[in-house]
Amino acid sequence: MESIIIKTSFDADATGHFGQFGGRYAPEMLLPALEELEAAYNQAKSDPKFLDELSDLFKNYDGRPTPLYFAENLTKKLGGAKIYLKNEGLNHTGAHKINHCLGQALLAKRMGKKRLIAETGAGQHGLATATVAAKFGFECVVYMGEVDIARQRINVFFMEQLGAKVIPVSHGTKRLKDAVTAALQDWITNVDDSYYLLGSALGPHPYPSMIRDFQSIIGLEVKEQIQAQAGRLPDYLVACVGGGSNAIGLFNDFFEDKEVMMIAVEAGGRGVDKPGEHAARFQTGGAVGVVEGYKSYFLQNEDGQIQSTHSISAGLDYAGIGPEHALLHDQKRVQYTFATDKEVLVAFQTLARTEGIFPALESAHAVAEVIKLAPTLAPDKIIVVNISGRGDKDVFIVAKALGDKAWLEYLRREAGE
Amino acid sequence: MIMTAIEEQLQKIKAQNRLGLMTHIVVGYPNLEESRRLVLAMAEAGADFIELQIPFSDPVADGPTLMRANQESLKQGTTVAQAMQLMGELAAATPIPLLFMTYFNIVFRYGVERFCQDAQQAGCAGLIVPDIPIEEEHREHFILRAKQSRLSVIRVISPASTERRLRLNAQHAEGFVYFVSRKGVTGAQANLDAELAQNLQKIRQYISLPIAVGFGISQPEHIVAIKGTADIAVIGSAIAQTYSGAEKGQGIAAVCRFIESLAAVL
Repeated sequence: MESIIIKTSFDADATGHFGQFGGRYAPEMLLPALEELEAAYNQAKSDPKFLDELSDLFKNYDGRPTPLYFAENLTKKLGGAKIYLKNEGLNHTGAHKINHCLGQALLAKRMGKKRLIAETGAGQHGLATATVAAKFGFECVVYMGEVDIARQRINVFFMEQLGAKVIPVSHGTKRLKDAVTAALQDWITNVDDSYYLLGSALGPHPYPSMIRDFQSIIGLEVKEQIQAQAGRLPDYLVACVGGGSNAIGLFNDFFEDKEVMMIAVEAGGRGVDKPGEHAARFQTGGAVGVVEGYKSYFLQNEDGQIQSTHSISAGLDYAGIGPEHALLHDQKRVQYTFATDKEVLVAFQTLARTEGIFPALESAHAVAEVIKLAPTLAPDKIIVVNISGRGDKDVFIVAKALGDKAWLEYLRREAGE
Repeated sequence: MIMTAIEEQLQKIKAQNRLGLMTHIVVGYPNLEESRRLVLAMAEAGADFIELQIPFSDPVADGPTLMRANQESLKQGTTVAQAMQLMGELAAATPIPLLFMTYFNIVFRYGVERFCQDAQQAGCAGLIVPDIPIEEEHREHFILRAKQSRLSVIRVISPASTERRLRLNAQHAEGFVYFVSRKGVTGAQANLDAELAQNLQKIRQYISLPIAVGFGISQPEHIVAIKGTADIAVIGSAIAQTYSGAEKGQGIAAVCRFIESLAAVL
């Protein structure tokens, strides 16, 4: 395998700035820990032993490479460009999150840390963190907003089965951003023995760069796979974007291939016109700010108060976006669009019926965009869409949204026992 | 050089051979009118400095008590403009230095230069903003703009600060330095960190300015314990707790009694 460490013209500078974005806006209590982390990561990423060990874990523990699959039925149905699915849902634990969890767990071990702290939205990152904690023998604490716990009970149950302690976060909007705050506070308090295993390509330097590096395996594999299958590079890459880890992972190895266009899909929720109804930072209500340790676009009001968000998918329900995405947006290297909850449900069902694949509701945002895009393109064009996770975890939300009566009766019956 | 209001106050405290006392409110908690009364009452009762915290939706360095106060205040609809106005009214009404405490997004969104100018115009003496490190100064010019508006930027240091970081902060510090007594977020605690005295001795080697000690200080015994090693005691969460723990309508009186009990041992 090629090294996952790729240099591109969008990389951060030595102090972690992506143009005007990123940086390290953390309180003094955390700065020494971030400096320690940066030094350890810089050392690790140039150590062949570290990279080999990670590569071995990717292959033998995680099940990489994940398939790049030509979605022939979906392509026919939409009647336009050829659609390939990068199926990250086939990773161990069911989503791309395990990629940066394995990388960071190896790093935490190298640094001699005993305890992992994580935040989670949909629970996929929490689940992946709990998984690597079990494997590597770390104590594990996962912070999760009460709203997210209520809608992602399955992941909570499994995290606990893996030995992690899931702590409900009841302040603020009780969602992902508040879980990030709680996790940072835990780290401030237990900075000596704990490693903060951040779950997306955001936060203070070096997290955005480090997490992108660990996720770059997605795009590296796609490049090889599409060359082998189609004999050329794709015309479009499409991925959903909450914090931005799966999108940056898919895109990173293609930034210098100018002919490859990239589309990232934000959560349009119940519509992007009203604050609080969506999580589309580049549509309405987003402005440059400095929150949770980094500078980027955040959904905020005139005073700089972070706004509440809504999305059918907990994983995209977040007011900020990784700093490299902010730069990619401003430089127009990536086009940012959105899909609404309704479109996402249609996409979820469409992929299930045509290809027998349930995308996570997060990933279904990317599928929704492909449903719009593919018919507008000629049949010789190629789209690669990242199915960042599988949809099993979303059974409660989808069944409820579709008003499935038998499912509801089943829940009642089970609860009655 | 003309002394700043903070330096004058520090000199007065030193002349009286005692510890200084800095107290804290979250602007708009429980409402703006109570905030105003509370600050005036605390100044009467013996506070030497008071922090006016402009509420923020994501106060990362604040523990549960102040996080709740931030949230409650925002629920009331408190704005940055109201905080500026309150600073103006209070600075005109009390002789002690008042400082703004907040998070950097509030300052950034307002515009760093305009924030410093408006704060200074309102009579604010200094700024405590924990999440804007010196490393970002070349981009944000926060310290520069504050200086241009004659505002002291209070540097925050912690037991985790390395020697290099202590030196770096010492270079830019003005007025006094805020030392966080323990690893953690704000919040009243029963006991002080066991290594506090030792840590204070260590940072004295790098910091020549007066040192304020905050986070976890909540009782007269704590003040007695840091006497001689620190210069200012900072009481934050314990004030909010005293206020909200009192019977209805008795909050301010309870806070005053609390401050008097602290002032008695300074």
